[in-house]
Amino acid sequence: MPARRSYLKSILVAAIAVAVSPFANLVSFFYRTNTETAQRQKIANLKDLTPGSAIYFSYPKTGDPKIDNDPFRQYILVMTLEGELRVYSRVCVHLWCLPTYLPQKGALICPCHGSVYREDDGVAVEGPAAYQPYPTNALPMGRIEVDGNGDIWLVGVEGRVGYGREWKRIPPRDLIRRV
Amino acid sequence: MGSMARSLREVVNDLWKWTVDRLERTTIVVYKFTVPKTYVSPFGYLGTLTAIVFAILGVSGAFLMFYYRPDVELAYLSVKEITEQVPFGFVMRNVHYHASNLMVLLAVLHLYYQYFSGRYKIKNEVLWVTGVVLGVLTILEAYTGYNLIMNQRAMLAINIGMGLTYSAPILGPSLAPIFLGGGLFDLVIRFYALHVFILPLLMLILAAVHFPRALVIDFPAISAVVGAIFIAGGLFPVELGVKFDPTRGLIEVPEWYLTAIYAFLRTGTERFTAGALLPLLFVILFLIVPFVDKSKKLSWRDRPFFTALGVATIVLIVVTTVWGFYVDFSKSTPFEQLYIEPTLFYGSLGVMTITSFLATYRFFSRKAKATRPAPPRPITLTPPQATSLMLALFILMILTVAASFYTYTLSLPNHSMFWLGIAFMLLGLLLHVYRHSILVEQRAGAAREAQKAPAR
Repeated sequence: MPARRSYLKSILVAAIAVAVSPFANLVSFFYRTNTETAQRQKIANLKDLTPGSAIYFSYPKTGDPKIDNDPFRQYILVMTLEGELRVYSRVCVHLWCLPTYLPQKGALICPCHGSVYREDDGVAVEGPAAYQPYPTNALPMGRIEVDGNGDIWLVGVEGRVGYGREWKRIPPRDLIRRV
Repeated sequence: MGSMARSLREVVNDLWKWTVDRLERTTIVVYKFTVPKTYVSPFGYLGTLTAIVFAILGVSGAFLMFYYRPDVELAYLSVKEITEQVPFGFVMRNVHYHASNLMVLLAVLHLYYQYFSGRYKIKNEVLWVTGVVLGVLTILEAYTGYNLIMNQRAMLAINIGMGLTYSAPILGPSLAPIFLGGGLFDLVIRFYALHVFILPLLMLILAAVHFPRALVIDFPAISAVVGAIFIAGGLFPVELGVKFDPTRGLIEVPEWYLTAIYAFLRTGTERFTAGALLPLLFVILFLIVPFVDKSKKLSWRDRPFFTALGVATIVLIVVTTVWGFYVDFSKSTPFEQLYIEPTLFYGSLGVMTITSFLATYRFFSRKAKATRPAPPRPITLTPPQATSLMLALFILMILTVAASFYTYTLSLPNHSMFWLGIAFMLLGLLLHVYRHSILVEQRAGAAREAQKAPAR
């Protein structure tokens, strides 16, 4: 009798488990799909850039100005003084202000507390952000593709916006691809 | 058949009795509400006071919800509108803000009173543990609340909170986007959901377990607490701050119950260790205390080690809280102004801890046979004295409420709140004198009865 009872109990527990199993991945509800998954977006053409210039844009673009103007979606495309292409998140890893590109210094400068990010790898070299430990001392970096027409596409972001990037793991050069 | 005409009073009485009879089928009778007939020390019912302040927060918060907009751009503007244009908006916002401060303060006092009197023993372990968790939720509730304004100060706190979440081992990177969503436009509405529904709901559920079965409802004290909230609002009206703008940097300091954590972060210690693990040590210490202190003794006098530990935690909390506020403006850059030298900081904390232990033990060895000071002699008012005092208080109340109305018409809402706070304080005193005179009357009546019928 007790054996039969425990057998029935196991079926009951299994039945409840089956009923709730469709909700196993309920936590995915909290992640916005249009930011968590990579979106391929055309930013500019090579003709639009000269060494020491930059283009500001939002990514991933939705068409909703409220969302597109959010600081966490602000990015910058830089053609460095040496003619390399780089895309960075504009959210300073210190206190979330929006740095701007200064070609004279070959760096991104934060207007709030003066953090200075190298244009070549987005690593902070001066100011409060530079004192933050690895990996919270570098701007997240865009993964870009340049096609035959010279169009520049952003296909994903390496690192976490407003937090940092493990810049020692992937060299900046590996994030740029010519297709 | 009796007379058909029943007075309204009888009808109301019957209806009341009928209702009370039927309430016996509900859970409400589980709680025993005690209304003290004389002054009792508020330390004994700080928990009830905390719950009452929580109710005040619920009511004032519900009012604010009618105007607040959880939106990156509009949040600040809607709070500005509430403060400057909505009738009673200034009052509601200040009541909500200062009640939140008072709730944190009362909860901390409640924790320490219960700690030093060893109330976590005698089968109260579940009450104690739920209480500690409620304390943590109270801080989170306050944190999500002041971030909703979306000013510079809020953004500093959000930034620190998100940084801490991201830097949590293993779970951090997947946990942070749950709060952040697709950006600040998502974050503000998620914090709003947490602040107005999810966290308060959790707190209510926990409170249902945490409440002891006997609750002391002391009306004079409640009136004084309401008065204190209004006076605080009058003297220190909550500021609007500067709207968050990602191109302007300001030095901001978080709310006082978070400056302790801020001080740890400013030493440059690894973020998660400084901002989460060290504060968590405090929480864990309080959580496990009932399972470590297994002695049968309750009073702090009989438990020198745990008393010393309690004193040390108070000293550490006070020192780190004050240190978190300190900004050294003699330095040139904001970064240097905020930097705290870690050796100095952690060294001081170590010295403070040792000193607290030494001082406590020294106190115990000196005052081994200390006697408690004699309680102050109670004041007894004669009925005519009580009547004139109540009348005087009543007249003062009329004057203060009039002052409150008058200053409101002069567009001085903070003055108005201050006078109303004084009025509530006076009402508290009046309630106390009232219950005192009732008690004196009852005692006199009992004495007369005893004289009439001498003992057989």
